Amino acid sequence: MAKTKTLNKRRQSIRSIRKITRTMELISTACYRGAMDRAMSAMAYTDRLTNMVRNLASSGAEVSHPLLVPHAETKTVQLLVLTSNRGLCGGYNGGILRRAVRRWNEMTGKVTDAAEQKVENALLDVAGKRGISYFNFRKVKPTETYTQFEDKPSWDEVEVIANRYLEEYLTGKIDRLEIVYTKFYSMSKQAVVHETLLPLTELGSDDDAKKSGTDNNFSAEYDFLPSAESILKEIVPASFKTKLFKCFLDAAVCEQIARMVAMKAATENADAMIQTLTMAVNRSRQSQITGELTELIGGVEALK
Amino acid sequence: MEIKCIVVTPEKVVLEKSAEFVSLPLYDGDYGIASNHTPVIGRLGAGELRIKNGEKTDSYYVSGGFVEVLNNTVTLMTSRAIPTSQITKEIAEKAFADASARPASTLEEVELRNAALTDARAMKRIAEKA
Repeated sequence: MAKTKTLNKRRQSIRSIRKITRTMELISTACYRGAMDRAMSAMAYTDRLTNMVRNLASSGAEVSHPLLVPHAETKTVQLLVLTSNRGLCGGYNGGILRRAVRRWNEMTGKVTDAAEQKVENALLDVAGKRGISYFNFRKVKPTETYTQFEDKPSWDEVEVIANRYLEEYLTGKIDRLEIVYTKFYSMSKQAVVHETLLPLTELGSDDDAKKSGTDNNFSAEYDFLPSAESILKEIVPASFKTKLFKCFLDAAVCEQIARMVAMKAATENADAMIQTLTMAVNRSRQSQITGELTELIGGVEALK
Repeated sequence: MEIKCIVVTPEKVVLEKSAEFVSLPLYDGDYGIASNHTPVIGRLGAGELRIKNGEKTDSYYVSGGFVEVLNNTVTLMTSRAIPTSQITKEIAEKAFADASARPASTLEEVELRNAALTDARAMKRIAEKA
């Protein structure tokens, strides 16, 4: 009797968990659509900017800018880690943090066989509550933490951060800016990457340039107002800002995908569990009935 | 012949429409573009973007960015594009006050402050016109 009851109780609780995970899956699907749309519309801007840089370069303008030149000595390195604010998204945060901590240990010289030399001054910025609490646990204190980026990072918010990094780089407070985040390649492929954002290696992303480079065969003679050099001077910071913004957008999209996958798996597991539990409940009920019947018959036999 | 005017910000494509004439704020003053304009890449300042189509004129406040004119297509890349109807005197005054309150102790800060002030002044001009 007691066994059936506990089994039933368990089945009921698994059912409600399934309801929750199923709902979360649907929510993250909706969020993913939104984030994806935003990333797509941001692409329109990035592509045009890359296009413009190419036009400028083909006009023979000298591409030189303080942001493109690495500092003579790399003393202070800023590491920016983009994690999510919420959990329940599978290995999303775990992957990022594993990569980030490896890099952090390299930077602070905790691992001796590191590929790169340790830097004198390592700074850490973390976005997302998950990362913040993780580094807190590790007793690493980040200089800046951001929690305002949910699934919709806005340009205004990112621009503030971008401006701060630009200023720090130009004034020599930091010599390099590195970022660890999840890059979005396609719906079925996302990967944790570790990139150097400052100094800028090249303007625009290289794969974009290759993609749109072929369909742009015309050569137009542009007039530059005021001059190609002055426009380049403006375009370099803009290019950095869009790059950083794209990182944030990518991270948001990947978080939703990770959550979608995790919740789908959870729902499926719950389904399987409910099935086995239902079977167990039925069995135990049946054996209970059989037991009672035997008792009854035994009693009748005894009365004869 | 009509020209196509596209305004994009990093977040989205704000508008995409055809026009007879476009007037946009370059870094040193307004710049008018009619059909068959020569290809141009220019730096935008802060000010009013006007798109004239027949009797109708749409106007937006843009601040900074770039413009590319090619094959009767005008593409504006800017960080902000707001319809001028949404810019009130209060918003402009606030932007101006914020800009004035910025520190100006180093050369970089002075530059940043001046840029913010120019933006705010452009906003004020638009607000007063409306």
